[in-house]
Amino acid sequence: MNANQPRSARVASSQVGLMLLIVCGAFTILSRQFLTPGNLLNVCTSASVVAIVGLGMTLAIASGNFDLSVGSTAAFAGCVTMSLVQRIGVAPAILAGLATGASVGLINGLIVTELGVPAFIATLGMLTIVRGAALIYTGGRDIYLYGQTQYKILSSGFAPVLLALALAFVLWFVLQHTRFGRHILATGSNAASARRVGVRTSLVLLGVFSIVGATAALSGLVLSAQVLTGNGRLATGLELSAIAVVVLGGTPLTGGKASISGTVLGSVLVAVINNGLNLLNISIFYQNVTLGLLLLGAIALEALGHRRTKQLTTP
Amino acid sequence: MLALDNVSFDILAGEVHALVGENGAGKSTLIGILAGVHQPSVGQVLLDQKPTVFPDPLSSQRAGISVIFQEFSLLPHLSVAENVFIGREPRRGLMVDRATMNRRTREILRTLNLDIDSATPVSELAVSQQQLVEIARALSARARVIVMDEPTAALNEREAVRLLEIVRSLAAGGVSVLYVSHRLEEVFSIADRITVLRDGRHVVTERRSAITEQQVVSAMVGRELVHSTRPNRTVGPIVLEIRDVSVDGGLVRNVSFSLRRGEVLGLAGLMGSGCSELMEGLYGLREITEGSLLLEGRPLRTAGPQGAIRTGVGLVPEDRKRQSVFPDLSVVHNLTIANLPRWFRRLPGLLDLAAERRKTLDYKRQLNIRFTRPDQRISGLSGGNQQKVVLARALAGNCRVLLLAEPTRGVDVGAKAEIYALIDRLVQNGIAVVLQTTELPELLRLADRCIVFVAGEPRGELCGSQITQEAVMALATGLSHRVTISSASASSIQ
Repeated sequence: MNANQPRSARVASSQVGLMLLIVCGAFTILSRQFLTPGNLLNVCTSASVVAIVGLGMTLAIASGNFDLSVGSTAAFAGCVTMSLVQRIGVAPAILAGLATGASVGLINGLIVTELGVPAFIATLGMLTIVRGAALIYTGGRDIYLYGQTQYKILSSGFAPVLLALALAFVLWFVLQHTRFGRHILATGSNAASARRVGVRTSLVLLGVFSIVGATAALSGLVLSAQVLTGNGRLATGLELSAIAVVVLGGTPLTGGKASISGTVLGSVLVAVINNGLNLLNISIFYQNVTLGLLLLGAIALEALGHRRTKQLTTP
Repeated sequence: MLALDNVSFDILAGEVHALVGENGAGKSTLIGILAGVHQPSVGQVLLDQKPTVFPDPLSSQRAGISVIFQEFSLLPHLSVAENVFIGREPRRGLMVDRATMNRRTREILRTLNLDIDSATPVSELAVSQQQLVEIARALSARARVIVMDEPTAALNEREAVRLLEIVRSLAAGGVSVLYVSHRLEEVFSIADRITVLRDGRHVVTERRSAITEQQVVSAMVGRELVHSTRPNRTVGPIVLEIRDVSVDGGLVRNVSFSLRRGEVLGLAGLMGSGCSELMEGLYGLREITEGSLLLEGRPLRTAGPQGAIRTGVGLVPEDRKRQSVFPDLSVVHNLTIANLPRWFRRLPGLLDLAAERRKTLDYKRQLNIRFTRPDQRISGLSGGNQQKVVLARALAGNCRVLLLAEPTRGVDVGAKAEIYALIDRLVQNGIAVVLQTTELPELLRLADRCIVFVAGEPRGELCGSQITQEAVMALATGLSHRVTISSASASSIQ
């Protein structure tokens, strides 16, 4: 399921698959609760939340950009939807939330393409702006939904997993089989060349950022449905987990390549590790450290592989 | 894997020794050994008859060898003087003695005839000046052997001439120069002796006067290359007509020409003459601010490359690495990217992957592109094969006018001959070509007609046998038709 099949990405996604097997094996031995249906569903649900936004992030990174504002966008979209559910109904409210996310993404894209601000700075700015907007919108209070079981459907049972898998399939298909997908990879690989073959790189990036915004919103909706609460402080730090699972999955930060399957596996790996450490009663502080180490390890491995291939090809 | 196998030759004091060979012949490895970057598994380097080993770059520099790599090693934010003396700064106590450093830098710059302030940051210099700063650094280290790897690759013709003069004066002063290049004109104008490598083996070392250019080429490619000349072409009706065109509000002005089917029109000129800008204008990358463009009698839409591609104009850009290749994408994806609508299924936007593959294999056969699998990454291909993929990309649309900018830059001699033959065939099949090149032999080989530009304006047009290096250079350097320049200066101009 690698959208563009360079060997390095395939190796990376088999690496993350292997790591996943090892970690699962270890936790099965160490904790009796790990391999129970209830716990596995938990793992899958939390993996799905990160995977959904991570999949959007995969496109952004493949296009040579990334988006730091996804956590704030998730929170904002969650609040917007929560506040609208009772007024306009569940489905319209969900659509409004997704539209909010896509609009934030579009603004990110416009700042990058029209003002020429690097994605790092543009989305860093939007990170604080949108977070602020979410808090202003809610007045800093929680929005509770009482008795809205219909909305709960977004987070119940296998719904998050199905959403994530469906999204993975759609984005894989886009990358593999459509002109838009090809244009994303071309823009990420070499933007100057892309313009010369008639790719409207600005439009491509606007599309990509809007998709990232919408996926961030979707994961925000799932999160808020889990707790049936809209909260402006929801999903802090989601941007880092999202970037981490993409990189763990073997999509290089340099652009031009994407591994959808890698991102999915990466999300599961992170979720499994967090869950296992929880089961073993290891504090959440250590979980942060583990995620960081994992990420550094993955990037170091990639850099090492890069250096080795370089040595092999230079005479 | 052996990158170099049993290579022996010597460099004399005060000699310019040229090292030539195709890409992958082992030149870089050899340079690496001299620079202390690579270690020979067998054999040795004798310096002044004494066996010497260079375990690291520093020991090679201490021994008096200075290597100027293709990619400069200058630090852009430091000044010229700081770069020249980096690692060897003159000191007074613990402090760097800036006054001495600047004074000695100025002296060296003067010997190089380089008029820049030693305190200028290197990032503010032109590429050619940076090259000279590299040389200044070698001189300041009192290098006895200077190795130059493709030193003129980034220079325009006038700057290249300057560089060659400097190389000559270095040699006259007793410095040995190992001059690595695959520009044979240059090699023949400067080298005392020439060594040819092929596939990591030493083929021949010969005095320049004892070997011909043709012999060097055959030694490089390992076979006789048919020395090809421009075929006689039969031209068809007018395809492209441009009248009084100006690009980008005056970067290029007052250009008019018509181009027929089966014809190659050359655009020549020194760097900054406006040829590249005109090409970019024709392709819709720059705005045509005045005049009209007609493609087969209909106004050509120039709003962006999309319009150009759709109406049948294809481009092979000037800088393969920066402007045309997608290093992370496969050969297929690189080939079809400009014309994806041709591979749409019934729903627009959806691609027929199998058809893309078939087309790629078609072009592989037609253009003799060497790769193993269509989904192989393009960055694994040689420069010549990458360029053929880019050519196939331009042709894959309904291409009637092909814009070729420096079509053989950075490809080796064998691939060059192949690309010329390909262009001949395309033209014979009725494609019209606009060729922009700074390599005069290439212009002579391909162009039926040629317009010479100076400072954004056409200065004259040459036809068929009128196109000679002397005539083109006379127009390009601003000398009029009547002034003939001596053959000596003409040959050094290449």
